[in-house]
Amino acid sequence: MNLGARRMATAKSDDEAFEALFTAEYARVVGIANRVLADPHEAEDVAQDVFIDFHRLHSATAQYAPAWLHRAAAHASLNRLRGARRRQKREVAQAAEEGDRMLDPQKQLEVNEDRRQVRQALGKLAPKPAAALAMRASGLSYAEVAQALGVGIGQVGTLLRRAEAALRKEVTRGTSN
Amino acid sequence: MVDDPDARSGADAAHLEGCPECQAQLKAVGEDARSIASLLAVPEARVDVGRAFERVVNNRKSQPALVRFPILRPSARPLTLAFVAAVAAVALVVVAFTFAGFFYNPTTVRTVPVTVADMQALSQLADYGTLTWTKEPQLQATTSAADASALAGGLKPPVVSKLPDGVSTTVTYGAMSEAVATFTFSAEKAAASAAAHGKTALKMPAGMDGATLTITVGPAVGEIYGELKQPSSSDPSQINLPQLVVAKSVSPTAKSTQVSVTDLENFILAQPGISKELKAAINAIGDPSTTLLIPVPVEYATSTQITVQGVDGVALGDNTGVGGGVVWVKDGHVYVVAGSIKRDDAITIANNLK
Repeated sequence: MNLGARRMATAKSDDEAFEALFTAEYARVVGIANRVLADPHEAEDVAQDVFIDFHRLHSATAQYAPAWLHRAAAHASLNRLRGARRRQKREVAQAAEEGDRMLDPQKQLEVNEDRRQVRQALGKLAPKPAAALAMRASGLSYAEVAQALGVGIGQVGTLLRRAEAALRKEVTRGTSN
Repeated sequence: MVDDPDARSGADAAHLEGCPECQAQLKAVGEDARSIASLLAVPEARVDVGRAFERVVNNRKSQPALVRFPILRPSARPLTLAFVAAVAAVALVVVAFTFAGFFYNPTTVRTVPVTVADMQALSQLADYGTLTWTKEPQLQATTSAADASALAGGLKPPVVSKLPDGVSTTVTYGAMSEAVATFTFSAEKAAASAAAHGKTALKMPAGMDGATLTITVGPAVGEIYGELKQPSSSDPSQINLPQLVVAKSVSPTAKSTQVSVTDLENFILAQPGISKELKAAINAIGDPSTTLLIPVPVEYATSTQITVQGVDGVALGDNTGVGGGVVWVKDGHVYVVAGSIKRDDAITIANNLK
């Protein structure tokens, strides 16, 4: 096989590997972002950006691919959450959209308020515990959380417990203010 | 004690079965985790994977192909080695310039101006012998600083105190193990290579034929923030800087047998095509055995001598934000901070690096 043909074969298998990776991980990457942002549309935006970044930088056959994607999804969505202007804009849009869907507007208002407070609290946590909570809540196993955050699996339990306590504290602080 | 059944080891699981206290504690932990999960609960996002894939692929195809950093592709081993060999060839040239007898170990940095013609002339030097790896570099991208550090023999990645506005906090760590390469000068190979180009090779100084130059590079660790941007032109060989790269490497060293400094320096500077400016800059270096030379293409970049972390350093680029960087040597390590940021931001990051 000459160099040109070999390059084409590599490119083809790279593309196939990327498609397989995308199919396997897309819903989970959206899930992590959605857990942080509580907005499926914005979560999909984040997930697609994460995949585009990944494909620019890495080979889809890399062993660390899922861990990289999970971590990037958590960090990218937490970054968005911390952008105050965007957050406000999103909440207005989200409230309007969900208001259309729900039958009980009073109940929906309460749900929205709870979600807003929890996300605000999540945005105040340090990046690692916040990412750990988002990943675990979106269904990743301890082993997957450990890989994504680059910590030992034995540390994940402690990391999560501390993160839960910190989140609870932030939520309580937010509601008592 | 954890609430993921799969994460419990055999010993823990066995203990749990017979310990009511731990069972109660686990129950409390599980309830706590569930209550937090309910706080974070959201309606599941319904995704159309096929449509999303099309969007991502179309976005990708609308842009020109990107040259990936081989360091980020540990799976592409032949490519990585080719890249490292190319870097080593250039490093060899740089090291050879500063080579001062039997041991080279830089403790400071200086820039030397190079032109495209200089680079072409210097690249011919790689044909004057054979490069062999006695210890191949292992390159690896990781998701954690701890993993990168483990791969780089315990060398810890430098910590950036504060990122400039606009730089992504998405970080990828990279590590390179220590590598050792030996270059063996060969008069025969030099003559053959020159003949292949229709030229006559310069006569090697006495004793240089068969002499070896052993270069040790790394280990090194670094962080890459953000993504590699698309090249603005359609020239795929042009790699644009990622938003920010911060790297630390053990200073390279070089040892040689048989050949004297003066001979080697004269031989290199006698290569056809070397500019007067470069010759003058090399001759002006005070102690070449302790100076790391940074070749700066005169047509494309500007550089200034600065003080960073209390030592001499070199700042590259300008304050337009197109590209800036800082290089310095301190306590036996070479540090680099560079990216598509302003030069002053690079200097600030460098000074606050921990």
